[in-house]
Amino acid sequence: MTIGKSLPRYEGLGKVTGQAKFPADYYMPGMLYGKTLRTPLASAKILRLDTSKAESLRGVAKVVTAQDIPGENGHGVIFPDAPILVEDRVRSINDAIALVAAESEEIAEEALSLIKVEYEELPAVYDPREAMKEDSPLVWDKGNILYHLPIRKGDVEKGFREADVIVENKYSTQMVDHAFLQPEAALSYIDETGNLVLRVATQYVHWDRTEIARALNININQVRVVCATVGGAFGGREDMTLQLHCSLLTWLTKRPVKMVYSREESFKAHSKRHPIYMKYKTGCTKEGKLIALEAEFIGDAGAYSSWSPNILRKSAVHATGPYYVPNVKVDAYAVHTNNPFTGAMRGFGAAQPPIAYEAQMDLLAKELGLHPFTIRWRNAFEEGSETATGQILETSVGLKETLLATAKAYGWDVEKLY
Amino acid sequence: MKKRGIGIGCTFYGTGYGNGFPDISTAFVEIHDDGSVLILTGAVDCGQGSTTVLTQIAAEELGIPTDMVTITCADTGCTPDSGTTAATRQTYTTGNAIRLACQKAKKTLLEWAAKELGTNTIEGLVIAEGKIMVKGHPQKSITFKEACAKARFAGNRLIGEASFTTHATQVNMEDGQGAPYWPYAFGTQIAEVEVDTETGKVEVLRIVAAQDVGKAINPQSVEGQIEGGVAQGLGWSLLEEVKLSSGNITNPAFSSYLIPTVLDMPEIETYIIESHEPTGPYGAKGVGEPAMLSAAPAILNAIHDAIGVRINDLPATPEKILEALQEKK
Repeated sequence: MTIGKSLPRYEGLGKVTGQAKFPADYYMPGMLYGKTLRTPLASAKILRLDTSKAESLRGVAKVVTAQDIPGENGHGVIFPDAPILVEDRVRSINDAIALVAAESEEIAEEALSLIKVEYEELPAVYDPREAMKEDSPLVWDKGNILYHLPIRKGDVEKGFREADVIVENKYSTQMVDHAFLQPEAALSYIDETGNLVLRVATQYVHWDRTEIARALNININQVRVVCATVGGAFGGREDMTLQLHCSLLTWLTKRPVKMVYSREESFKAHSKRHPIYMKYKTGCTKEGKLIALEAEFIGDAGAYSSWSPNILRKSAVHATGPYYVPNVKVDAYAVHTNNPFTGAMRGFGAAQPPIAYEAQMDLLAKELGLHPFTIRWRNAFEEGSETATGQILETSVGLKETLLATAKAYGWDVEKLY
Repeated sequence: MKKRGIGIGCTFYGTGYGNGFPDISTAFVEIHDDGSVLILTGAVDCGQGSTTVLTQIAAEELGIPTDMVTITCADTGCTPDSGTTAATRQTYTTGNAIRLACQKAKKTLLEWAAKELGTNTIEGLVIAEGKIMVKGHPQKSITFKEACAKARFAGNRLIGEASFTTHATQVNMEDGQGAPYWPYAFGTQIAEVEVDTETGKVEVLRIVAAQDVGKAINPQSVEGQIEGGVAQGLGWSLLEEVKLSSGNITNPAFSSYLIPTVLDMPEIETYIIESHEPTGPYGAKGVGEPAMLSAAPAILNAIHDAIGVRINDLPATPEKILEALQEKK
């Protein structure tokens, strides 16, 4: 019997002895080094792009721009709205303009410095609350509001009228990075059958394969993605970063290509956690029973969609916290700005609401003279509870056991706190 | 002056892609002549430990030790699609797929063994101690290894393939009603902090964390996830911020973007709560994301308990704390 046993890590020996191979540990004879030219501006139009000097530099095998992409110039986990390489419109500093493959990293770096880009800076918006206004600069012509989900349950006005205590506050969370220890790296090559192989640290090899086939305009069976050892991900390896760039360079040169990001480029290339602006109004009875909750979430999606609709949906669904509330009104918005795009990160939109709802619980408890444990205990989900979306939690609701375990560990006299 | 405070954070988390999105994992299993096993699955291990947990599930289902199980993960050249390593879904979704695939391979083996041992159903057999035995009459048995070799030589192939879909229903876009996730995970953390009212610095002294994981397949891995979650929650609440100027990141380095180091970490006590999720493999549901949710609200509530001011705009840096203390005066 092995379930419930703390058996050692399957890959542990390889990791502790240094045998595990991260993508940057792979080398191939004759491989080129790939580098990416990125935009210094978050909102601009490319007026002129001149790669001729870079192309003529000795040791440069290939310079690639948007025109060279054989397939679709767009990627994204829901909507393919992020450019692989920008053709004319820059929307965020995530944007890549050109790629270089060269015989050494130094030559590739030098080639990047020889690429001339003329930009026309365009109006930009950096706050999603501003971006929602009618007169805001548009990140996308279709409008900046990417997603809106309302949740309506019961009668929230009636609930607040019946409440003995109401607290109302604003909260906000910041943009953060996944800060995984291993920056992005990949090695791609053409195998003996003519198919493209990519070794990369990713979260979903089959999705990467789909994106690569679409970008190269080849069949899915012509692409093989093999996951190298992954040095942390936390959601930051779900969207494409160097997978498509490395594959493009190999496909167009027919040579192995290696790309390794610096920490700085890693910060600029992958998604971030959504900053969310939250407004909360929570009411409860004098017994400490929640009776009404109203919440608004405005999430900064940045320039590209990534998982933003799903993430703000998750914020809305989790707005009440793990508590039964009969009357609920929630509005969650994902809004485009010219900030770096935001996407999946451990917690996925359910991480931000607790900053607000758990503060509200303490504030309500204080108003009523209740212990923080008590107000939570009296509202806590248990088997059979109904969520704000009308879902009945039928099985495995261990919340009260977690409350008891932690409270007892702190020596709280729970018998007196129910 | 240094002031101490205690704060609590309770959270929940709907696991899986959710909202009716195809949330599917697939696994292949092949049992060899000597009773050892190969599992193929597309699930990436990002370092969180899914590979270990998945081998434990396969070994348990087949009644063999884990050193008889080899697993190949995340190579589109040979492994089937098992979805993203995200949404706290690999233990649950791929775990279920592996369990079902093992059941299919095992069924072929046991059907052969039932004939060999003169039993009229495969339910009348049990795999234990390296043997396939007749239930209630363990003297009648064949070694697992011998059974595998003989069953294969008799023309059987001991393979199984299975997909598992995590159940979810779309929410209505008019009123948000629906059953978007299953299962949900729950957790509570209580933090004790010490705030220096002169410098505004917060030190987290102790975190007690309890997480309902349904069933801990590998308790040490679960503890690791909880401790990692505390570290990430601590960094998020007190230290980390991507700073932007006209959309550009001004601190893209670990010298200016601060994440917690071991010296920032408090003493952590973990409590694993096993509520048993009937749809999960052996009662398990996920732990990855839910484990990072409760630390930040607990720390913020503890700061309030210590000094009487609330920081509602993350992160709770020393500057913001000093400013809030000034305003309170």
